[in-house]
Amino acid sequence: MRVGIVGAGTMGTVHTGSHHEAGHQVAAIYDLRPEAAAANAARVGAAVAPTFEALLSDPTIDLIDICLPTPLHRAFVEKAARAGKHVLCEKPLAPTLEDARAMIDICREAGVQFYVAHVLRFFPEYERARNLVLAGKVGEPGVIRTTRGGIFPTGWDDWYADYSRSGTLTLDMIIHDFDWLRWTFGEVERVYAKSLSTRTTERLDYALVTLRFASGAIAHVEGTWSHSGFRYGFEVAGSKGLIDFDSAKIQPVVVQKRAAEAGVTGVAVPESPLRESPYTTEIRHFGRCIEHGEIPIVTAYDAYKAVEISLAALESARTGRPVTLAKEAF
Amino acid sequence: MRIAILSLAHFHGYSYAAAVAKHPAAELALIWDEDAARGGAAAQQFGCAFEPDLDRTLAAHIDAVIITSANVHHKEIAVKAARAGKHILCEKPIATTLADAQAMVAAARAAGVQFMTAFPCRYAPPVLRVKQALEQGAIGEILAIKGTNHGRMPGGWFADPGMAGGGAVMDHTVHVADLIRWFLGKEFTSVYAEVANRFHDIRVDDCGMLTMELEGGAFATLDPSWSRPAAYPTWGDVTMEIVGTKGTISLDAFSQNLSLYNNDDRVAAWVPYGSDMDEGLVNDFIAAAAANARPPITGEDGLRAMEVALMAYESARTGAPVIRGA
Ligand SMILES: NC(=O)c1ccc[n+]([C@@H]2O[C@H](COP(=O)([O-])OP(=O)(O)OC[C@H]3O[C@@H](n4cnc5c(N)ncnc54)[C@H](O)[C@@H]3O)[C@@H](O)[C@H]2O)c1
Repeated sequence: MRVGIVGAGTMGTVHTGSHHEAGHQVAAIYDLRPEAAAANAARVGAAVAPTFEALLSDPTIDLIDICLPTPLHRAFVEKAARAGKHVLCEKPLAPTLEDARAMIDICREAGVQFYVAHVLRFFPEYERARNLVLAGKVGEPGVIRTTRGGIFPTGWDDWYADYSRSGTLTLDMIIHDFDWLRWTFGEVERVYAKSLSTRTTERLDYALVTLRFASGAIAHVEGTWSHSGFRYGFEVAGSKGLIDFDSAKIQPVVVQKRAAEAGVTGVAVPESPLRESPYTTEIRHFGRCIEHGEIPIVTAYDAYKAVEISLAALESARTGRPVTLAKEAF
Repeated sequence: MRIAILSLAHFHGYSYAAAVAKHPAAELALIWDEDAARGGAAAQQFGCAFEPDLDRTLAAHIDAVIITSANVHHKEIAVKAARAGKHILCEKPIATTLADAQAMVAAARAAGVQFMTAFPCRYAPPVLRVKQALEQGAIGEILAIKGTNHGRMPGGWFADPGMAGGGAVMDHTVHVADLIRWFLGKEFTSVYAEVANRFHDIRVDDCGMLTMELEGGAFATLDPSWSRPAAYPTWGDVTMEIVGTKGTISLDAFSQNLSLYNNDDRVAAWVPYGSDMDEGLVNDFIAAAAANARPPITGEDGLRAMEVALMAYESARTGAPVIRGA
């Protein structure tokens, strides 16, 4: 599997390492900032592509991995598909349902495979919780709570703070939880939400979203870019039991450095190491889907449905009304 | 200050009775209960007299009453007590309808007695600390609050719609709704809610999710669900995540616990060591009654918190947010 990566920011850097660990060959990396592409390329012995077109015209490249700010996803996916490359794209799939639909359609027409990086499905704590739910360990699921977030993110050109580009944390971040919830508890019928993004221009976002599932279960999703650090967790309460998980409470390793200078306290850095990063598990899986026809754990259609929930939440936050999702699939 | 406990249908009555018994300037004079066996046993436990007749109880030489009956009976008992000139501490929710709550507040005002709603959470030291931090401006202005008041299904009359006036949403909305009002000093303007029965085979709701807006634009959610399984190590929780312009506060009011693993118990248990809160509540009531002064938590406070639960039920019925006063 030879891969061309577009983007050498936060996720481009993670994916570069993960492709390498998964045994994929990173052929070349392209980024607007050649120095960023070069730094990542040097880590894995890849070339720096001078243009996106250079990646597309390399006949040895099987897969194009797009790790760009969200509004760029559609244009880059379409070009890659037209060039006959399989495509992996970061979540959220797109900022609108039209874009999302068009991307899926063009990949289908071009006969290329299309994957979207909903990595939460590869986090073992989320996968394990889902399996427990499916095994009936909580009985009938009743109320599910999830939380995610921390500090306000910084990216290239501060694009996260420009909500016309990032779509707020409701599109950018808690879409992870929406996808996991839909994967685990089925289709969402109705969405109600409040969000700071509709009321403050400060560098703060906070969203509280209620989902009502077709099954009757209720979920509450918290997303924050108003705290510090990063924390995520969930609670699934059902008629027979309860599962909870809080990343802040799982600290198998804490490295604490004594401060050299007086008056400065040492910083404790907690870690929860796994044999393989979930990002690598995800990318290894997509590689096997392409090369060996493994059944995808998450499809582009799933990614579309997750965007639909995010956009419904944003609409509800804007209008103050509950939003009922369309029933028909495509 | 002679005090009577009116009904022990709600188990909080026992703890309030104990707080009265402890108070140096108060005396637990009488217990009335519609269930003579329960009331008689409690009277024996606290070493006071039992009186099976409500009117005779109210005619007795007492200054104040604590009402811990089933929710629907609060109104009748409170109005009688007010007319008899007794100061009143009433268990939450204050009532089950707006009209009942208004009648209670009006009766107390007309009789010139003090009426206090029992929101003991305001006296939990972690909650008091949050109130203090907010007053000191630690996190600037409040923008949003995520609250929970989880519990186990209490059973008995709590699960009887005719006695409780609702289920989990009625039982567990008011504590956190009251804390939100107290922290912000603002009124709720709208409530949207999903309400459901997902956990138990009972005739009332056992879970829900409320989303509220307040004057000034802050928003909040509240999970009042009876969603703790019997195997859970504690009864439930009161938690609040408060997001302000300058910072955040996380409150987990009842997390001062030890973890106990005992072979004879079937499940692990959290054993609380946090400070008692009912004593603070009862002490403030006794002080207000003794001075015939406005208590720190009023009937109006009880009414406003209950109104949120009623708006939640209406929202669930109509599928739309309910705007207060609209
Ligand atoms: N799966 C996850 O856990 C996760 C986490 C963070 C971000 N993301 C998603 O990944 C995507 C990228 O986010 P990020 O945090 O890596 O962003 P980033 O700002 O860190 O990186 C973006 C990179 O794109 C480059 N770039 C911008 N415009 C370009 C163009 N026209 N051509 C080529 N390069 C260009 C920038 O130079 C930068 O290096 C977003 O869609 C984001 O939502 C996913």
